Amino acid sequence: MRLILLASATLLVGAKDANDAVRFIACPVYRDTDAGRKSGCWLASDPASGIRYDVTAAPTKPDWNHAILVEGFVEADAGDPCGGTVLGPARVSVLEAPCTRHLIRAEGYAGRRFALPERNVRPLYEARKKPEPPFQEARFTIPFDYQGSFVVYQLTDYYVDATINYALDVQPATIEIAGHAQTTPQSVSGETLVEPAELADTRAKVIQQALVMRGVPVDRIRIVDRLPGPFVDTPFDGLETTVPRRVDVRIRPD
Amino acid sequence: MKPLLPLASAISLILSGGLLAAAVPSGNEGEKDRWWEPDEGRSFPATLDYRNEGGTLRLLLDDGPLDTKGHPFFAAIGPNGRACVTCHQPADGMSLSASSAARQWTRKGAADPLFAASDGSNCPSLPQQLRSSHSLLVDHGLIRIARPWPPRDPAGKSIGTDFRIEVVRDPSTCNLDPKYGLAKAGMISVFRRPRPVANFKYIEAMGFAYDPKSGMPLPVDPATGKPVSGNLMADGRVASLEAQMRDAASAHLGFLKNLDQQDIDRILDFERRLYVAQQIDRTGGALDAAGAMGGPRMLQISKAGRLGSDGGIPVWSEFEAWEKTPEAEKRKLAPEVRAFRDSVARGARVFRDKTFLITDTAGINSPIGFGNPVRNSCVFCHNMSYMGMDVAPGQVDLGTTNAPFADPAPHLPLFRVTCLGKPHPHYGKTILTSDPGFALTTGKCADVGRITLQTMRGLSARAPYFSNGSAKDLGGVIDYYERRYNIGYTEQEKQDLVNLMRAL
Repeated sequence: MRLILLASATLLVGAKDANDAVRFIACPVYRDTDAGRKSGCWLASDPASGIRYDVTAAPTKPDWNHAILVEGFVEADAGDPCGGTVLGPARVSVLEAPCTRHLIRAEGYAGRRFALPERNVRPLYEARKKPEPPFQEARFTIPFDYQGSFVVYQLTDYYVDATINYALDVQPATIEIAGHAQTTPQSVSGETLVEPAELADTRAKVIQQALVMRGVPVDRIRIVDRLPGPFVDTPFDGLETTVPRRVDVRIRPD
Repeated sequence: MKPLLPLASAISLILSGGLLAAAVPSGNEGEKDRWWEPDEGRSFPATLDYRNEGGTLRLLLDDGPLDTKGHPFFAAIGPNGRACVTCHQPADGMSLSASSAARQWTRKGAADPLFAASDGSNCPSLPQQLRSSHSLLVDHGLIRIARPWPPRDPAGKSIGTDFRIEVVRDPSTCNLDPKYGLAKAGMISVFRRPRPVANFKYIEAMGFAYDPKSGMPLPVDPATGKPVSGNLMADGRVASLEAQMRDAASAHLGFLKNLDQQDIDRILDFERRLYVAQQIDRTGGALDAAGAMGGPRMLQISKAGRLGSDGGIPVWSEFEAWEKTPEAEKRKLAPEVRAFRDSVARGARVFRDKTFLITDTAGINSPIGFGNPVRNSCVFCHNMSYMGMDVAPGQVDLGTTNAPFADPAPHLPLFRVTCLGKPHPHYGKTILTSDPGFALTTGKCADVGRITLQTMRGLSARAPYFSNGSAKDLGGVIDYYERRYNIGYTEQEKQDLVNLMRAL
């Protein structure tokens, strides 16, 4: 059987050694560099090492009122535009724990001019290339932030859109959705991180609802416990600790 | 027929290059009363101009003229004597200015159907002959909007809520009224400005399939199952123009039955063919002169729903030509014309390029992950080419109705919202608000104060501004943003932005 892993088509990332991944919890600091829109810097210091990281590349940006979970790789040759070791790829999850808000001035750091991320949903007025029949089975993986079922702008939505577009393009088709959550406790910066098991179902239902809202017939969608692999891994950018926070979708054209 | 422009202004226009566009259009209504009464049976011309403080507003009707005799938009189809046009006046950019409301009170008092007890008074139970019973409409241009509490879904079923709402005080009396109030009737009365019913090509346009503020696809019209823009009505309580019409017919026209389909189709047809924008500035002349593209004609012929930064033209670059006018040409202009045009062009730049820190604003800083704070400019939200709306559904909490940001509004009701689950991401557990906005539709505490962005065309015709009319004039709009976000506008930048908005 041939199958396609569509979501991996455009975003290939180099292999990363999981041991090199950075992961910690901290209060974020906003550095107000002004290089145009969305140009401010987000910094966070690992309490274990004291290293200040630049986490600006994360799709979810911090909220200065809350602690963040940082996950990422140190990006080679990234310079120092913000006053911190640059993480990229990077993920930020906003946590409930409160933080005192901190804003620091540019202090000579230039920041970065905003550039549209590769993972962006294209407008409806832009022509879209549709798959040609015969249609094949396809699998998609949709990533989420820690403790989140919100569709993250310019990350989750990119994969949701790819999934929905394929589901619409190859109708009639059967669509199976399997939600996952990080239910194995992990210790990070002295905190225990674990997601409730029901978050897996919540995530699956979010994707189901999104499919239905875009016009996929509800009777063709099924939420299941597990789906057989393989599933695409590019949504995680090599960040293995983010893998459990996902939804898998299998689309099988009739 | 009286000339549209005073002679001196007309000469100034000709000298300034605002030539043909400034000519008196065939549909000039200058000789008629600017107030459209129900059932007048006037002809609505293809081009219709009205003077206002900023200059001249123009309305363009595709395939006009339209005979309004018996037309359901212009006919008093309900028992209270009102027509749609009563609150959506052509001279007021298809909205209703507070000054027009005040003028009608002076002319006719409570006998004018505008002041119908149901929503043209502070509360129907008040003595209707008294001016004080209509003060919110007469003095502030505000219409009473009664929303059920708890909210109901489109099928009329109550939806779950995650907050409690109580009345702290209510000078309108209606929220404490034994017949119409929250305790007995389960209704919440808020007071809002009528939104313009024109330029719907843009309001209904869907630029993207998703609403990043909710993280989900665009809302779906329950009547058709099709996605909709989500940009209708301050609290987004209906999905489609058709549903808006049914809502308005029962709430504002006192029309007990649904409009019939033929009436709806005729109203939709009219509203979707109508374009409104300022056409001539009292100082700067024709807004489409010397290469500029102001006025409603561009709205009529342009594609809608384009993001100014991706697929569309940069927002308000309609006035870019005035930046590029050669110095030799500029020298031919009257000094005040030149100064105004330069100011509008600068204002467009400030609107797009002057960034500031946006903080603690639901719909921007939460739940979407833009960050809190995020540095951006006005076009972050006002991002649709030609219209300045949000291409995504635009429910944002600017704070205009919520403490601590809202201007003092002793004339409005004040509610206390207590979040029962998670606290509001930016206000905490308890919120004082004069209008919970989108939360009256969703029942969610996190949506308190979120209001759908408005169109930005024809502003000169329809003061005051913001959904609760808290900005008396365009300067008040800029002053509010300056206070709310500590932007640091210079006085010149403020004036440039005011001039820009005056020219829209």
